[in-house]
Amino acid sequence: MASRATRAPGGQAIRIEGLVKDYGAVHAVRGIDLEVRRGEVFGFLGPNGAGKTTTIRCLLDLLRPTAGRLEVLGLDPRWDSLALRSRVAYMPGELRLPERMTGAGLVAAVSRLRGGLDTRRRDSLAARLDLDLSRRLRDLSSGNRRKVALLLAFVADAELLVLDEPTNGLDPLIQREFLALVREERERGRTIFLSSHVLSEVQRAADRVAVLRQGTLIAVGGVDELRRRARQRVEVWFDGPAPTAELAALPDLVDQHTEDHRFTALLAGSIEPLLAVLVRHHIVSLLVEEPDLEEAFIDLYEAAS
Amino acid sequence: MRGRWAELIGGPFRASWRAGLGWSIALVVLIVSTVAFWPAFRGASGITQAIDQLPAPLLGAFGLEGFGTPAGYLRGGLYELVIPLVFAAAGVLFANSATAGEEDAGRLELFVSQPVPRAAFFAGRSIAVFAWLAVLTLVALAAQLASDQVFGVPMDTGRVAATVVLCGLLGAFVAGLCLAVAGFVARPQLVQSVGFSVAYISYLILALFPLSSLLAPWREIAPWGWALGGDPLVNGAEIWRYLLLGGPAALFAVVGAYAFDRRDIRSA
Repeated sequence: MASRATRAPGGQAIRIEGLVKDYGAVHAVRGIDLEVRRGEVFGFLGPNGAGKTTTIRCLLDLLRPTAGRLEVLGLDPRWDSLALRSRVAYMPGELRLPERMTGAGLVAAVSRLRGGLDTRRRDSLAARLDLDLSRRLRDLSSGNRRKVALLLAFVADAELLVLDEPTNGLDPLIQREFLALVREERERGRTIFLSSHVLSEVQRAADRVAVLRQGTLIAVGGVDELRRRARQRVEVWFDGPAPTAELAALPDLVDQHTEDHRFTALLAGSIEPLLAVLVRHHIVSLLVEEPDLEEAFIDLYEAAS
Repeated sequence: MRGRWAELIGGPFRASWRAGLGWSIALVVLIVSTVAFWPAFRGASGITQAIDQLPAPLLGAFGLEGFGTPAGYLRGGLYELVIPLVFAAAGVLFANSATAGEEDAGRLELFVSQPVPRAAFFAGRSIAVFAWLAVLTLVALAAQLASDQVFGVPMDTGRVAATVVLCGLLGAFVAGLCLAVAGFVARPQLVQSVGFSVAYISYLILALFPLSSLLAPWREIAPWGWALGGDPLVNGAEIWRYLLLGGPAALFAVVGAYAFDRRDIRSA
């Protein structure tokens, strides 16, 4: 049987144009434009209160936008919500589950609402996530409840998985299993929209990311591209005293520090002017560190503010 | 789709079984313990004569007219205030916990994001609320008829049934009103306040308006009066009383579903 994903037409999985969401006088989202391609893992980054969850809830028609146009899997979330939700699996960030139910009971209830779920896949996911579905949800730790929600998202066989802070409270072993599941879903052609502030996780899983700050997008691009855009840390050991005057004249070299023969700085542009200075001196070593996503993220934030 | 509806109605119905059991036990205890004292009042002509000497409006206000008769005893002891109040309270609390209470706690989000129309989701919960009130009506009716037999209260079964059903419909009316409010806003305190206020004011109108010659003609303008203003234990009940309670109850639930379909869902 062909999967839903393979039957779906190509194009964008998510298209957001000018999304605005206000709660009275509070502007949660202030005009976002974003496109997520089918089949990619897309990281949606930002600190608490940046508007990530509000955007996600608008995509799922849980919130009605104040302005803007949304398209998910080619459908309008407001008017085609039923068709859309049958093709999307959602894991809420703020997880509140019915406490008196067992994990198995909750999976069965969701299965009835979705018109059936694959029980073999359910059992396989429970085993991979080391999850006992026979226990009541109120008796589970917050991490184990999150595993139940993860299982519900991955068992749904949906074209698009929208995961809001999916690994909050999970131990490192399960986080690794989660990343493996994400990779498997991508290989099956699924699109994964992953909201997180665990940047190392996004760095490992995502093809592209968007960074959100106070309801506006401040960057969208590939993970590597964003890392390249961030400032690189430079450390140079000179054979003699560092040529501080020459180095101070380089405009892209900021936050400069000199200690005897050692020079450190942050490189915010091309490395060529620095190399042009260095070749005129004897240097013992040169270290240029590529920033990780966390540094890129902080850099973007500082630049935006 | 049958499986979906089974879950939409059965899920919230099962989730309320503890509350349903509690209300059932409360109704049975109230009814049986009250009826159990009937033999003591049946022969106590002194008490009934003393009560009958109270001013007529006061007797009406407290439902004590004909206290020495089986119907008067049941009305004064149970059906003037206690049983309708239990149904009204059950209606408010069932409706609130199935909708606004759950949404306010953030427990609806996972279910509302499943492929089910929002209005159907709300309708399923409304039907579960009305189903529990129907169960409580049957429990109360069974307890009343059984107690009447055991303790020798000679009552017409049809009139007892009419009275209990009207109490159940009063609960459904108040529950429907709560569902309508919950459809518009996920604020449990507001839902409960509206439900209890309407029930209480409605009771006051039926009980106190007869004390004023100016207000007496208006004693049946509120739902409590529609249900019990005609003294169904003595007179039975006209069909319009059932319709005036049941119709709006269903209409309110539809309004709630309509509003729920058109607003933001509250998260935790």
